[in-house]
Amino acid sequence: MNARYGMVIDLDRCTGCGSCMVACAAENNVAPLPQASPRTGITPMLVRKVSNGMEGGAQREVFIPIMCMHCEHETPCVSVCPQQAVEVDKATGIVMQMPQRCLGCRYCMTACPYHARYFNWWDPAWPAGMEKSLNPGVAVRMRGVVEKCNMCHARLHSAMAKAAAAGKREIDPADYVPACVEACPTAAIRFGNLADQNDAVSHEAHSPDAFRLLARLDTEPKVYYKSKEAWVRALAESKSGPGSEVKHG
Amino acid sequence: MSTRRNILVFGIGLAVTLLAGWVAFPRVLYVQKQQPLEFRHKTHAEKSGLAECSQCHALRDDGTFAGIPAMETCAGCHSEKMGTSKAEAILVDTYIKPGKETPWLVYAQQPANVWFSHAIHVKRAALACSECHSTYGESDEVKVYQQNRISGYSRDIWGHSISRLRRAPHEGMKMSDCEDCHRRHNLEVGCLGCHQ
Amino acid sequence: MKLTRRDLLWGVAGTAGLLVTPVPWKLLDDVSIWSQNWPWIPQPAHGPVEVKQSFCTLCPNGCGMRVRMASGWPVGVAGVASHPISRGALCPLGFGVHQLNWHPRRLRTVRHGASSSSWEAAQVAFAKACSEGPIAIIDGYPGRAASSVFETFVQKRNGSYRTVSSPETLALAPYANWSGVPVAGLGYDLENAQTIVSFGAPLLDGWATPGRFTRLWAERAAGSKDPQLRLIQVEASLSRTAARAWQWVSVHAGSEAALAAGVARVLLEEHLVPARGPMPPMTLAEAAGQTGLSTGAIVDLARTMVARPPVVAIANGDNLAIAALNVVLGAAGARGGIVRKSKHTESYASADTGIDSARAVLIDASVPWDFVPPTNAEVFRFAAWDGGSSTADWLLPAPGFLEELTDVPTAPTSAIATYAVAPSLLKASPEVQSAAQFLSGIDPALMTMEKIIHARCADLFRGRAGTLQGQEATPVAKFASVQKLEEQLWKGAVWVDEPPRSTAFRCQLKEWPTTVSSAQALSSSSVNWSNAWRAPVLPPLASKLYQESSLREAPDRRNA
Repeated sequence: MNARYGMVIDLDRCTGCGSCMVACAAENNVAPLPQASPRTGITPMLVRKVSNGMEGGAQREVFIPIMCMHCEHETPCVSVCPQQAVEVDKATGIVMQMPQRCLGCRYCMTACPYHARYFNWWDPAWPAGMEKSLNPGVAVRMRGVVEKCNMCHARLHSAMAKAAAAGKREIDPADYVPACVEACPTAAIRFGNLADQNDAVSHEAHSPDAFRLLARLDTEPKVYYKSKEAWVRALAESKSGPGSEVKHG
Repeated sequence: MSTRRNILVFGIGLAVTLLAGWVAFPRVLYVQKQQPLEFRHKTHAEKSGLAECSQCHALRDDGTFAGIPAMETCAGCHSEKMGTSKAEAILVDTYIKPGKETPWLVYAQQPANVWFSHAIHVKRAALACSECHSTYGESDEVKVYQQNRISGYSRDIWGHSISRLRRAPHEGMKMSDCEDCHRRHNLEVGCLGCHQ
Repeated sequence: MKLTRRDLLWGVAGTAGLLVTPVPWKLLDDVSIWSQNWPWIPQPAHGPVEVKQSFCTLCPNGCGMRVRMASGWPVGVAGVASHPISRGALCPLGFGVHQLNWHPRRLRTVRHGASSSSWEAAQVAFAKACSEGPIAIIDGYPGRAASSVFETFVQKRNGSYRTVSSPETLALAPYANWSGVPVAGLGYDLENAQTIVSFGAPLLDGWATPGRFTRLWAERAAGSKDPQLRLIQVEASLSRTAARAWQWVSVHAGSEAALAAGVARVLLEEHLVPARGPMPPMTLAEAAGQTGLSTGAIVDLARTMVARPPVVAIANGDNLAIAALNVVLGAAGARGGIVRKSKHTESYASADTGIDSARAVLIDASVPWDFVPPTNAEVFRFAAWDGGSSTADWLLPAPGFLEELTDVPTAPTSAIATYAVAPSLLKASPEVQSAAQFLSGIDPALMTMEKIIHARCADLFRGRAGTLQGQEATPVAKFASVQKLEEQLWKGAVWVDEPPRSTAFRCQLKEWPTTVSSAQALSSSSVNWSNAWRAPVLPPLASKLYQESSLREAPDRRNA
């Protein structure tokens, strides 16, 4: 009965365009921060470019979209939060962050192995009038709190309300599609219920080409990746060696 | 110098404090605000055959709730003045004719990070409107809006009783009130269930 | 009795009773609510959300766009899966376009040089210019209803109508020159190709209508070692397209023409293709030297290219050698290659020439900001945003995103003709005017957008050809009236032509071209997005890609 929402991201399909990043920011009312740097910006969905470290014609690159992995087991951020502002939602498996409860200690940012949490260094501000373009259903966070990917739960809420209005108990999966999944032009990001045997995503998560980042930490992330390229799969567990992030362009 | 005098002075201090805390404080904490016009639920229910709450406070197809009806709904009947009341005159002249939304003060207004679905509570759980909104729908006059000077929300959220003791059955819309009802019905929802 | 300090202390002790009043507890609660809801943090409005369908008109590709509207303002955009060309995708920056109208550099007043002016003054000046000499109008998005207003205007006054092309359309120019079919009548039949050799064209990163090729590639090639669609990317550095291609051929920058020549030589000498010419003058050794590849590698490439036909080569701009290679490959005018999409299309002259004698030049808002007209004439430039460092004499505020009714002609490189109507979903403020409206102010006899679009819909209806692609596909012949057809178009349906009976055309090419390009050699820079994004400013959320992450290099723009 309880869902376990997760994703499988096909790295052979990700072209690193960045549509998911922009769509995520638009959906979640993240303010554009032209004064920010990659260290201080807020990108709940972040695509990183990683190369195999070789030169010339042997050079290979892959793009890896990173967001909150919604860890299921001994979730690091949940265990360190002094405010109990994060929890793993029982009904959906989504790791839910309550920014209004957060006091901004940033312990969770240290604890997150995936660096998937972002701090609001500034009050969000939009150019005059642009607040009219804010997405209803997603509260805007203030300065001093941490935020992260929340699996577009506003869309889940809309799906739940729509199902209830139609007299149904279960939501229609077509009504709950996170912004990044909707935006991806190559359908590299697939979303579904990992606990549902009939869901294609739960099958893909168990395919031999699928892997999770830092699986050895045993946090049971619900975001899987897959690739047919062996060097890409090796990146997941490499402590050092081939594979280095390429910055800029 | 005597103990009796000390106790007396203590008692005076205590009495003043208790009076300030229990009587003066609630008066000072809230500021009265008037609704833009005197809307009467009873008149509409009796005279215009709008006996069901959902006739104006409707659920849309996509599951969202219309809340206090938009000016469009009122204009459905009140595009021209139908009676002689001052309230209607204000409605038609100040809002409907110029096409402006009436700036109602919403008693049940919650902060932006709260998600409450009327579809789930009214349609799926089949809760009656009066469960949370008491008999306001049958009232003959518009309730005074008492705004908390510090938080900015209506007194109806905390409840009229400043101590929260001896509350009416449907008073209060704080998170703890939602939690109480959910607990009574054994319906556990995590943070995700009500927050956004 | 006198009051003493002891009285004071005992009295104050009485205030300990505060703890049994609601004061501290209520204040705690109120202050926490207050501090969680600072009034200066903007919050979204309440109210119903409607979903409307329109098209992104910021570049000539016209991607289908679903816009979520709350209280009459756009609050989110997404693609339209049923659109036959864009197929539900938008470009990365497209997801932030709904915020563009409030960009700080939004133009709202007429500027004459450094000072503010008015529409009246601009009209007077333009009318005067019209009476003093020929006018040139430059259009960045030909084929629209507004474009026909421009053409009519200049025709009446012996002026010139010019267009600005993108690298994708420029790449088709050689075939137009060699066959006589106008560029607007040509397209790439990618859906039927099995091998695509891109010479630096960013097929997976902002080429033509983004969704078209990315979806095709995702369906037919992604993740497969032996894909149905083989993408070979020829490029000096590992671009995004090269990183995902089936094969990346790394050549020295600028040597694409040499590689094309080398490959063509191998194809002809080894009789790998039916064509018998034209033979490039360059030898295989010379090609190897210029490209940095070995002769063996070039031979392998040639053989691989024809291993799975149909094969087509795509250039990133106007490259005659690559076009000649397509002639050798037999891709020019054949299925899976460059095809002819419809009989009746106009040809447009480029804005690079023929405007030096103009008395004044009017530049439409659709022209890329970086385009500077090669002229000393008085320039009247329309734009919705100020891209910075403008040299125009007049800067005229144009309608922004979805603020005006316009139509969406066939996307430039598509293999099939399409048509759609993009209604305005937002009301333009009275301070802005489109170029077409401006010209109507000078010549009231010009037709309005509504009239032209209505006439075009009537033509479609009378033609009885093609299908209207909305939620379902409905043949045009099934529509009972023009009104019903128009209604569907206004709701976001796309008219798709029937495939022409013959997509073939013949290229007359006797000799291998001696110059690289018919205009000027374009530097192939597919690293930046700036080729593809046409609006003068970037959407604010682009900061996620350029400043707040290391994903992309900031584009080479004057004022992003």
